Amino acid sequence: MSEDKQPVSRRQFLNYTLTGVGGFMAAGIMISPLRMAIDPVLQQGEGESDFTNVQLAEEDITNVPQRVDWEIEQVDGWYESTVSQTAWVYKDDNGDIVALSPICTHLGCVVSWEGSEDHPERFYCPCHDGLYYKDGVNVEGTPPTAPLPVYEHKIENGMLFLGNSQSREEA
Amino acid sequence: MLQKIYDWIDERVDITPLWRDLADHEVPEHVNPAHHFSAFVYCFGGLTFFVVVIQILSGMFLTMYYVPDIENAWRSVYYLQTEVAHGQIVRGMHHWGASVVVVMLLLHTLRVFFQGAYKKPRELNWMVGVLLFFVVLGLGFTGYLLPWDNKAYFATEVGLNIAADVPLIGDELKTLLAGDEEIVGAQTLTRFFAIHVFFLPAALFALLGVHFILIRKQGISGPL
Amino acid sequence: MHKGKGMKFVGDSRISAERKPNKSKDYSEYPGRTEAFWPNFLLKEWLAGSVFLVGFLCLTLAHPSPLEGMADPTDASYIPLPDWYFLFLYELLKYDFASGPYVLLGMLVIPGVAFGGLFLAPFLDKGPGRRPHQRPIAVGMMLLAVTSVFWLTYESAAGVDYEERAEANQPIPPSEQADIDTESEGYAIYENNCMSCHGDDLSGGSAGPPLTGIDRSAEEIADIAVNGIGTMPTDQFTGSDEELQQLADFIVSVNEDQSE
Repeated sequence: MSEDKQPVSRRQFLNYTLTGVGGFMAAGIMISPLRMAIDPVLQQGEGESDFTNVQLAEEDITNVPQRVDWEIEQVDGWYESTVSQTAWVYKDDNGDIVALSPICTHLGCVVSWEGSEDHPERFYCPCHDGLYYKDGVNVEGTPPTAPLPVYEHKIENGMLFLGNSQSREEA
Repeated sequence: MLQKIYDWIDERVDITPLWRDLADHEVPEHVNPAHHFSAFVYCFGGLTFFVVVIQILSGMFLTMYYVPDIENAWRSVYYLQTEVAHGQIVRGMHHWGASVVVVMLLLHTLRVFFQGAYKKPRELNWMVGVLLFFVVLGLGFTGYLLPWDNKAYFATEVGLNIAADVPLIGDELKTLLAGDEEIVGAQTLTRFFAIHVFFLPAALFALLGVHFILIRKQGISGPL
Repeated sequence: MHKGKGMKFVGDSRISAERKPNKSKDYSEYPGRTEAFWPNFLLKEWLAGSVFLVGFLCLTLAHPSPLEGMADPTDASYIPLPDWYFLFLYELLKYDFASGPYVLLGMLVIPGVAFGGLFLAPFLDKGPGRRPHQRPIAVGMMLLAVTSVFWLTYESAAGVDYEERAEANQPIPPSEQADIDTESEGYAIYENNCMSCHGDDLSGGSAGPPLTGIDRSAEEIADIAVNGIGTMPTDQFTGSDEELQQLADFIVSVNEDQSE
């Protein structure tokens, strides 16, 4: 091939055409499978989040974080299941409701309010002694590098409804 | 650039003889449809291989969505067909490809038979080919069950009952295939999945390798 | 291959240091119009392959792969049918000489002889001649086998209405599969009066259509249960008026569940 001195020899031409035809066949075979394989990447993310009544009346929310458990219907492809969710809910100094996700931003363990006797007034993660302030912001010098995610919330008929959790940037 | 990469590899692995052997193997006039149109009958083998390649590729991608479990198998196939972009097409390729392989294989077999191309010295390759035929039929039979719909279930039950009628070892054979003496269910599905996806393809690759090596060694049978 | 003393290798490997030229062979001395596999012949082969591929993709686009309802081992009314390339075996077993006491003949002996003969063809047909007319026995037997396989397949498939089968076995989307409270009183009444035809999950059966996805009021359903409709005979329901009301309410409730 490289020995040929002409600009495009018959042999080179055949090789180019062959590559083209081969590419056409490969594309014909692979285009649908590839589109199918990358489909999850192209699926639209959840738009509106679904709010669920977590069976907690607004007047029962104090300024001490309390643990709330509820269940949501999760659709995972062809598999539908009920998944339990947990949040720590309290009213901050302004009287606004805060619902924090208990998923540690370090490596995903579950934190709890005053989970360690050595650290009062802190969210504590038992895995690597991660700590968060009451507002969910991570304590400097402990493993987590971002605040705890917050759940979207709303009050209807005096009951607390929680939606999706949203992660927050580093404070 | 390409030439440099080629030379770099060639210096270390000496691929030129292999490549020249592949690129230069002769294609005689009598099998070339460009010279004698009737030579298109020689295409059936190649087309069979082509569809086998399509089957392998589409099958690999299908396992991204399929689960061999009686609770979820049908649901996952239904999800694939209705919710996943192009899922319908990929499953279609695999489904229709299975039929096309059998048709092409039949035509290829008949071509070789009526030309008497299996005669000395090509007896071995003919037998390898017939074994390939059985492997492909086995792939068709085991693949039929996997969507776990009514058609799949009842056809497989019939197939297993036929196996059970074999004298002496019938019941054992059926249990071996179905994974249970009575039930055609969860254990049958996983077995058929394993056979369809690992065992038979492994046999297919090995036999195809032998088939092609023998063709290259012996050359294409001469004109009638 | 160059051997012995004076051979040079790349490093300490056994790869020859001498490079062979990457040149194609000269085909002028071969008989006829022999040509190289790459790229001359492969290009033609792949062009044919491309045409074939386009046809194949058109087939898959035009005919979506069929999927029937999820396997229900209790569905006694389902008539099994294998894939088309096993139909000839399936049909063979219907013949008297291949079933009942002779089932071994139909199942093992006939296919065994046929496939065994195919497998051992090179040793059964040993003559030197390759042309079909030089080996009439082998060719004749093959023609006979091919004709019988075609005939059996045709016989088996001719009586099957594939469209009707597909129609009768539509997949039910998981989201529409009704939750049926089998503990309820309504279901108990359904079990006694309707289940034998309409199936244990209201999805229809051998004699009756599905009772899910219907748009009828409780009164209409009660009326049909007593007076019949279409091919459904009258007086299928045997019980008190109170039970009739419970039954109708039950069927309506299942349909409401499903449409949610």
